[in-house]
Amino acid sequence: MNTALSESVSETALNFDVLPSGVEQFRKSAQEFARNVVEPRVQDLDQKPAAHFDWDLVGHGHRIGLTRAAIPKEYGGLGVGMLGVATALEEVAAVCPGTALIFGATLLGQAPILLSGDPRLQARFLPLFSGDEPVLACNAVTEEDAGCDLIIPSQAEHARNVTTARRDGDHYVLTGRKRFITNAEVAAFASVFATMEGSRGATGLTSFIVPLDLPGVVRGPVADKMGYRVCLGSELEFHGVRVPAEYMIGAEGEGMAINMAQSNMARAAVAGISTGVARSALERAIAWCGERVQGGRRLKDQQFTAAKLAGMAAKVDAARMLYLRAADKVDNELPPPVYEPATAKLFADRTAIDVAETALSLLGARGYLRSYGVEKTMRDALGTRIYEGTPEVLALAITDSLYAGGDEW
Amino acid sequence: MSVFPSSEMAAQVFSSLFTVLLEDDDFVVRARQEGLSVRLVHTKPDCEIFVSPQGGVRIGEEQAGPAAITLRMSCDTAHALWMGRLLVPVAIATGRLRIRGRVAKVLELVPMLRPAFDRYPDIAAAAGIGA
Repeated sequence: MNTALSESVSETALNFDVLPSGVEQFRKSAQEFARNVVEPRVQDLDQKPAAHFDWDLVGHGHRIGLTRAAIPKEYGGLGVGMLGVATALEEVAAVCPGTALIFGATLLGQAPILLSGDPRLQARFLPLFSGDEPVLACNAVTEEDAGCDLIIPSQAEHARNVTTARRDGDHYVLTGRKRFITNAEVAAFASVFATMEGSRGATGLTSFIVPLDLPGVVRGPVADKMGYRVCLGSELEFHGVRVPAEYMIGAEGEGMAINMAQSNMARAAVAGISTGVARSALERAIAWCGERVQGGRRLKDQQFTAAKLAGMAAKVDAARMLYLRAADKVDNELPPPVYEPATAKLFADRTAIDVAETALSLLGARGYLRSYGVEKTMRDALGTRIYEGTPEVLALAITDSLYAGGDEW
Repeated sequence: MSVFPSSEMAAQVFSSLFTVLLEDDDFVVRARQEGLSVRLVHTKPDCEIFVSPQGGVRIGEEQAGPAAITLRMSCDTAHALWMGRLLVPVAIATGRLRIRGRVAKVLELVPMLRPAFDRYPDIAAAAGIGA
């Protein structure tokens, strides 16, 4: 090829097959972890009591860096960005999304510290994740009476019974109760959102990092969930918990913006989890339809089934493209963009459910059995719509972006 | 009305600030190691500054080279930020400070800016820019 022409092609061509080397290396180690460590125990873990937690499994993930993938190298992390996190979590989720969410929720708990730009906070909390033993974090937003009201600014004033914070000398005092918090039972610290006492609804929402061994913190009980049973979702109570003032992120009343920024940052990664769920269902359907013979032909050779498999494959590929774009944007823009992560998650969640449902139908009666795995995938797929933005919340974020106009750059 | 009466005044203050940073050995060593160059696009009034350990501090759009990190904010936001009245996470989360470039590099950059935060109030005061 003409040199000038090849140079111009390399400057303009997108390469859909090659990830940055550090990201690809991390993705491969996540794939090995999923196949060699997670897969042999996932069916058993899925049927354990709700409060069972496999620290040994987490330890293996910790050793390949799943607890510190997004942390800068100077604090002992891998520094592979959201692209690294998202592609690795797709690999883990293709085997067990509950395991992937343990690490995804930890990233979410770390996000305010990463965004804080505060070297003291970063030096205090981020090196915890590079020790020999695994450490987990969590993000505590949702409450009994307030979920979406804490992540949609226009609804903040209507939020009810929100956890409160009150300044007392060089501390803040937190009082309230969070619900459905992934990792709350096992995390070392939580990113907690509480509204300043006396403010209307959640208009005074403020972000704090709260070590969960502080007096007044009560964990549990663990929720008995339909899917994602490998990770624990539980309550987190704060009974007059005194949090050092320097553990506040940003400023009083700025928690909503910080929460949205960290959500936008994390949605690309959780879209990777949903894509992994869909991929798992697709792979099982491909295997089954490639061997099952009906009417003298394998299912894959029958036009109606082929159309289903082709549609499933296209959706999984599209979901992956969307989350890769979102992750790349998140790795290169601050504040994290709203639109791309929200569209990636909205599409990937829907894809997970559609592809799992189609796979279930293609496997027929076997799809309904636990031993074939698709039944678990279906249960997990339905969970993707709940955390880090329901379809309704994502739709509002996307639509707001459509009407907001472009950034000036 | 902006605390900066003119683009020239903004350029004088912000270029002085980054000249201070380039006198900080730790900053320069790390900036060289990381291949760090920063383009600051200020608005209201408009003022663009390009900073790199190799090229020093250059003022004006035509002086800017390709930068690893681009920061965009109003001059008033920059003033509040450097004075310590507006915190970095709040500026980012609310979109008052917008950044393009590898976020990992940005996260490493923020702690390196400590000398600039320390010196800015004096630099602004010397230029007659009020708190």
